[in-house]
Amino acid sequence: MSLAQSPLGRRDDLRAAFGGYLLALADDELVLGHRHSEWTGFAPDIESDVALSSVAQEEIGHARLFYERAGDLLGGTPDDLAYGRAPDGFRNAVLVERPNGDWGFTIVRMFLYDRADAVRLDALAGGPVEPLADLAKTLRREEKYHLLYGEQWLRRLAGASGSSKARVQEALDSAWVEAESLFDPVDGHEGLVAAGVIPTAPDAQRAMWSGQVDVILEAIGLRVPEGRRLPKGRPGGVDGHVRDLNGRAGRHTADLRILLEEMTSVWRTEPGAKW
Amino acid sequence: MPALMELLGMTQQQASHIYAVFRQDTKNDPHVHVGEVHATDAEMALVLAKEQFARRDLCVNLWAVPMSAIAATAYDDADIFEPSTDKSYRFGGSYREQQRVMRTKRRDQR
Repeated sequence: MSLAQSPLGRRDDLRAAFGGYLLALADDELVLGHRHSEWTGFAPDIESDVALSSVAQEEIGHARLFYERAGDLLGGTPDDLAYGRAPDGFRNAVLVERPNGDWGFTIVRMFLYDRADAVRLDALAGGPVEPLADLAKTLRREEKYHLLYGEQWLRRLAGASGSSKARVQEALDSAWVEAESLFDPVDGHEGLVAAGVIPTAPDAQRAMWSGQVDVILEAIGLRVPEGRRLPKGRPGGVDGHVRDLNGRAGRHTADLRILLEEMTSVWRTEPGAKW
Repeated sequence: MPALMELLGMTQQQASHIYAVFRQDTKNDPHVHVGEVHATDAEMALVLAKEQFARRDLCVNLWAVPMSAIAATAYDDADIFEPSTDKSYRFGGSYREQQRVMRTKRRDQR
């Protein structure tokens, strides 16, 4: 059964929001997968280089599967959706488009993101939209390794001597508010929750994520940063740089535009070409 | 018997960050040495080994063994493996062929 034929997928009133949510999931995976792939050849050791390159391939593979389902509802092939949209058409969270920075930031972001991804996949896996629940269950198998890799690296970096711990703490502080924004709603999100397409509301998912993440961070001696203390929904510019950004609404940094220009450069030479 | 790290001219410090990796293709196969990874500890060695040695082919289990734990024969003593008289009557060529056939069968059944 395709998504568009499922009972909730057939509802016209949900179609735009449902498609938008699937795009947000796909865009997160694609953009972060691309960031991971930028480490190929540059990671701290060859083992981590190979492993992170595999993770990058897997995230991009997951993006493809979400784009297929988004395309069922909104039209377009995965390639059209991945390569054919302008930056403001992207629904990924700003966190994943941030440049890699150092290894500490890369690992912290990976840890925070994959924990969040696990929470939302768990929700979908238990949800009523069968094709999506099946997909979520399949993806969780590979995500298990991503969780392991990020967390084990983070433990080592936080437990190492010298500047290592200070650098991951700094990375954590800088990533935190944007990590919370991973749970920001897409357009029409409330309707999706009300209809049961997404079984849990964004705030509940964020609380679940925070509960899991806090325990691990405290266990490895990192300080959990202050969250945003704002009315629900909008990032409020706690440290200045998130003020007007909202990836889920298509408001991105210039870094996403640069990333997409590079990522789509081959496709744009001959759109629609078969390889 | 010398330690493997001595044979390779490594210090204890160097060897303590190198783990030999063994992979098992199916539950009925022996673990086979497939290479090494650099890692801070055994747990991290397994995390890294999964992508180094299990991404191109299915496997069911990995072992990581600290290099410093491995004893080895010396290459200078390799003549202990050389027979002085004709031992062709006990060479096991057919055993190896049988293993190859059985392994393929086990994989197909998995």
